[in-house]
Amino acid sequence: MITELRPIPPSVELKAPQTAPLLTVDRLKAYYKTQLFGVDREVRAVDDVSLKINRNEIYGLAGESSSGKSSLIKTIAGAIRPPFRVVEGSVRFNFKDGERDIYKLSPQELSAIRWSHLSYIMQGSMSVLNPVRRIKHAFADFALPHVSVKGADFTRLVERHLKRVHLDPAVLQAYPHELSGGMRQRVTIALATVCSPEFIIADEPTTALDVIVQKGVLSMVREIQQELGSSVLFVTHDMAVHANLTDRLGIMYAGRLVEEGRTRDVFKKPLHPYTAHLISSLPRIGDEAPKKGLEGSPPSLADPPSGCRFHPRCPLAIDICHREAPQMVEILPGHRAACHVAQADPTRVEAVA
Amino acid sequence: MSPNLLDVENVNKIFTMGGLISRTVNHAVNDVSFSLAADKPEVFTIIGESGSGKTTLAGMILNSLAPTSGRILFQGRDLRDVRSRRDRLAFMSHVQAIFQNPFDAFNPLKRVDRYLFSAAQRFTESRTTEEAAERADEALRKVGLSLIEIRGRYPHEMSGGQLQRVAIARALVSNPSLIVADEPVSMIDASLRMTVINLFKKLRDEIGVSIIYITHDLATAYYISDRLIIMQKGKIVEGGDARTVLAAPQHPYSIKLRQAVLSVDNAWRDEPFADTIPAVVT
Amino acid sequence: MSTLKILRDLFRYNGEFAIGLVLVLVVLAVAVCSFFSPYPPMDVYVVPPDVPPSWEYPLGTTSRGQDVFWQLTFAIRNTLLFGIVVAVLSRIISLAVGLISGYKGGWVDRVLMSINDTFVVIPLFPILVLFYFIMRDQMSWVMLAVITALLGWAYDARLIRSIAMSLRTREFTRQAVFSGMGTGKIVLQEHLPFVLPIVFSTTMNNINWSIGIEVTLSVLGFTDINTPTIGGMIYWANQHTALVSGIWWWITFPVVLVIMLFIGLFLLAISMNEYIDPRSRLSRLGGQA
Repeated sequence: MITELRPIPPSVELKAPQTAPLLTVDRLKAYYKTQLFGVDREVRAVDDVSLKINRNEIYGLAGESSSGKSSLIKTIAGAIRPPFRVVEGSVRFNFKDGERDIYKLSPQELSAIRWSHLSYIMQGSMSVLNPVRRIKHAFADFALPHVSVKGADFTRLVERHLKRVHLDPAVLQAYPHELSGGMRQRVTIALATVCSPEFIIADEPTTALDVIVQKGVLSMVREIQQELGSSVLFVTHDMAVHANLTDRLGIMYAGRLVEEGRTRDVFKKPLHPYTAHLISSLPRIGDEAPKKGLEGSPPSLADPPSGCRFHPRCPLAIDICHREAPQMVEILPGHRAACHVAQADPTRVEAVA
Repeated sequence: MSPNLLDVENVNKIFTMGGLISRTVNHAVNDVSFSLAADKPEVFTIIGESGSGKTTLAGMILNSLAPTSGRILFQGRDLRDVRSRRDRLAFMSHVQAIFQNPFDAFNPLKRVDRYLFSAAQRFTESRTTEEAAERADEALRKVGLSLIEIRGRYPHEMSGGQLQRVAIARALVSNPSLIVADEPVSMIDASLRMTVINLFKKLRDEIGVSIIYITHDLATAYYISDRLIIMQKGKIVEGGDARTVLAAPQHPYSIKLRQAVLSVDNAWRDEPFADTIPAVVT
Repeated sequence: MSTLKILRDLFRYNGEFAIGLVLVLVVLAVAVCSFFSPYPPMDVYVVPPDVPPSWEYPLGTTSRGQDVFWQLTFAIRNTLLFGIVVAVLSRIISLAVGLISGYKGGWVDRVLMSINDTFVVIPLFPILVLFYFIMRDQMSWVMLAVITALLGWAYDARLIRSIAMSLRTREFTRQAVFSGMGTGKIVLQEHLPFVLPIVFSTTMNNINWSIGIEVTLSVLGFTDINTPTIGGMIYWANQHTALVSGIWWWITFPVVLVIMLFIGLFLLAISMNEYIDPRSRLSRLGGQA
């Protein structure tokens, strides 16, 4: 059934950004600071992260549990609550109707840009859909305040949108429990995109789904993104999803961004030993070579290792890695990595893969 | 002829839910049969998506659930006859379990070593604490840990990979001949996953334990299985040698499952999903 | 973290806990004084009657010639003891029923819960009065404590059962089963620690509840009036129409003391609740919410 598709010739560049990036995250530090019964705890969930996301692209964010990826997207969405707070840096969106700095907005201004400019697809569809209300009510609850049309016009708008994403408008009459898990996730995606947002954050939207359903949902994300021309920040720990869906990919480790580049480049020529390991250890059908796990444990964000946070597990670690945290540096065109070894000689990292 | 390690013979499990008025019948496992040989340790994989009945089947093999019909024999003995506490303990020393979520597999208020000690005292001849500690340490060394590293530690002080290795060591204390592992790596971080997967291989090759590996992930199944079955809605749709089945699946469902696996090698195409974009989904 | 350290931190950082603890300690100190009383509790006319609070008799004396302060020390001791005995007995029953019912499930659960529900719907007060009229002179406070305990466990057993039911589905319970632990060990060592904090806070409320029962019954004279209790003191004061004759100290001081105890236990219960809130608990354990 799979038809062999034409690969992109290497010479064809992805749509180069003509305008300023849609999202600019600049030296962002966001920590959990708790004081409980006199004990101070500081968890550096997002530590000095800078990244840019262009218009009309799918940016993938990969990382393990406690890598800080969920904290980063919460910070980007402006959805953080104490004890989690932004310590330094900024999150700026360059929307069509003007620039917004998320942490300089009033709560009213922030809720005004939700749904219409910035929307969120969550992992569990049941947390979005009220189990005792029909799907059409969910659309009215979330989207009605953000569009200018009312009544029958609104219903027509919703139906047109559902058709656009290949969903039967009959789902509007259904209750969430009458739909399958994959269908519910499609509905939440439709819900998040009904106001044609410019920026969509997707937080592990396919993790809880079965493999067969997952592929359909991913194709839906891809299609909507192209149709709306919006940007998607797609978060998942599944590298195979990133390989198939995203245009650019950022890898997080222990609260920091350690590598970023075009997805193809990151997979073909990883510049950080951690990324190299993630890719080389992926089991593939048809590949019988032994795969190794990574020694050691992911570091604690409350007490991260000195220098480069990956050095205790890194096969390439040298002296400087213990002392100095490497900066993100553009090593190859459009391909950044925070690794002392790669910055000295990019070919050495490939050798471990 | 010595009996097989495990015989699953025409097993059915039907759950009836609801009261007298509205009754829903769920045929969770439908006429499933397979056998594991006693003299040839192997990794036997059960592949299925949610609702395929794979976890129910595991529950019956572990004697936590009774089949509605059909029978399961372990070393020739029908599990229906394993009822008394003594028989159950003897059964558990031969058939052990590893669970899905390592972060929930140990009581967060208790030290992790208590389960190792309990297993050592229940399932081995150790009478004293020293003997139990020795058994625990032996088992931990098989998974690349030692008692010194984990003694007195609480679950929240350890990573998912470490916890899952402790869980495997716990299952190994009694020197079982069969381990049932239900989705043992789905909650483990990618960088630690292969360590656990490789461990299963090592247990099979070096200690001779047979492993029933239950998963929805075809790639890891390909990597470690000797034989596998693919289940859909309680039925086995296809089974056989793992490499053969996954390389060239025959049943339409297996083909669909195989095609849904996202490949890393065939990625970076213009329209990776063009073939799967549905018409109107209903 | 040791229990002692938890208590110290609670005292230091939790105002309600500190106030509650001080109030309860004051009441306890008064109860302990009973061991140093110069007069036996049952003796009457050992001091001049109806003397208002003074240097010699700090809380005054009663119309029956008893020193209110020393009488009060015995009364609060017995009342407190009553509350604790009821709470401990009913806790044991509710823990046993709740944990076993929740863990075992099936027919064990159905049998235990039907007994439980019977006790929930039994009207408490008429039963106690009925017992008094049947038993009359054999109605000692120990008997009353046992009956109250038998009537006071059912609500909390249901609460404990619901926690045990969710613990049963956790993977660590299966881990315990496959480590060869039996029902007793799983219930007592694996599950009990999860319900103990809640049991602790319901204990405070249960003590309050049973003291309320005891005081009400005593004031109405439905108990063994010869054992000095707070309710018993108020009963005798009413018998001597203390308020009408202006002997206010006979009633005021027992009432004030028992209110201090009520408030103290209540504050301890709510601060415990705050402590056992799973979110703050998790962060103390070092986990991430």
